[in-house]
Amino acid sequence: MSVYVRQVIAILTKDLRLELRTRERLAAMGAFAILAGVLFNFSIDTTVVRPQDVAAGLVWMTIVFGGLLGVGRTFALEAQDGAIQGILMSPAPKDAVFLGKMLANFVLLYAISLLVLGVFALFFSVDLGANLGALLFTLGLGSLGFVALATLFSAVTEGTHMGDTLLPILVFPLLVPMVIFGAGATGRLLAGRPVVEVAGNLRMLGAFALMAVAAGAGLFRYVVEE
Amino acid sequence: MTASPPSPPSGFPVLCATKVTREYGPLVAVDGIDLSLHAGEFLTIFGPNGAGKTSLLRILGGGMRPTSGEVRVGGEVMDFGETEWRRRIGVLSHKGLLYGHLTLEENLRFFGDLFGIPDLDRRIPARLEEVGLADRARFQARQLSHGMKQRLALARALLHDPDLVLLDEPYTGLDPHAASVLRRVLSSLKDGERTVVMVTHNLSEGLALATRLAIQVRGRFAWEGQRGDMAGDEFERFYHGVVEGVS
Repeated sequence: MSVYVRQVIAILTKDLRLELRTRERLAAMGAFAILAGVLFNFSIDTTVVRPQDVAAGLVWMTIVFGGLLGVGRTFALEAQDGAIQGILMSPAPKDAVFLGKMLANFVLLYAISLLVLGVFALFFSVDLGANLGALLFTLGLGSLGFVALATLFSAVTEGTHMGDTLLPILVFPLLVPMVIFGAGATGRLLAGRPVVEVAGNLRMLGAFALMAVAAGAGLFRYVVEE
Repeated sequence: MTASPPSPPSGFPVLCATKVTREYGPLVAVDGIDLSLHAGEFLTIFGPNGAGKTSLLRILGGGMRPTSGEVRVGGEVMDFGETEWRRRIGVLSHKGLLYGHLTLEENLRFFGDLFGIPDLDRRIPARLEEVGLADRARFQARQLSHGMKQRLALARALLHDPDLVLLDEPYTGLDPHAASVLRRVLSSLKDGERTVVMVTHNLSEGLALATRLAIQVRGRFAWEGQRGDMAGDEFERFYHGVVEGVS
């Protein structure tokens, strides 16, 4: 195994291990996902709109808002005891640090995305069976693009006084393409339409994720280096 | 990429800083410092609060770019685009740079992986043994006292066998026993091969191990020289004279 891969895996496993021990971020994101599902369930008059028609948009909004609760705290983990300085003064390339942290965030957010899908399937009576594989793939692509941007910008905002307020203001405008193509694909898949009908959306989601990962890996060093 | 640090070309100082300056807006924290250290030297930098000691140490450790000037480690210029030179440096800050929810062993393994150290299964127990924490390897770091955390942080800083060790106020908050353990480990660094720079307010601890001394005031070295055989109280009077003379 190359040293680079070892460095990425070290950061990934360290972040996941810390999260499993503290459960700070998973608990916040999970609770938000469930509560949002319950509230949306009561807020929609099912005699006026069919729940299936609005479920896709609500799924993505819940993932975005809930995800930011957890991913936004990525660097708060490092603030205690100055641990981030230890990482930055190690020979690990900054893009390896970014990729490790981004992949850890991806695992957490993808787990929450699955929870969100389950919650909405329960409350909105949507049938996941027909296109489950494609749905999981869509959520995976969307989550990857989201965590790439959110990880980068959480590093930007961590050192600021208005970090928690600033993060959504910076990230949400950049997530518009992801929400458009992700919600578009999810809506059709939940309606049982053939996967080929959402191929264009999935390509756009994939391109968005690739660009976000490349931009994050390339720009991260400028964010964390003084 | 290689895991072991390359040897410096013979004759080069291990650490060479030239006209290093660091400004924070209008404040000049480090003001044109020149410094050259060879293998085996132990430099202690004293100075009042706000003298720029920690900023200087962060620059020497590659944790912060100087506004101007140059730092060379083993003859190589610190290039922030390249990171191999970081394998030569070990940093012990007054913050532990540790993860409280990881065990001692996990903390060391994590940093060992970042440094690409090949033989961690052998090296981690040896380092923990050196700092007297072998029996607590599976404790989480947050369960340790401050003194033990500082010893763990020292094990982390020395894990990759750096030839330049930077110590920022290592005795802060330690009880006498913890301080004596730390002193014993630090004295083992005086092996003639390692170069050490320590920043401290503690005159007696700073004098105990040093081969060279410097007094930093307002970002500059107001005095620098060999340790010689100056007694503690004699140096204390000298230190206050230098600081008051500049202030």
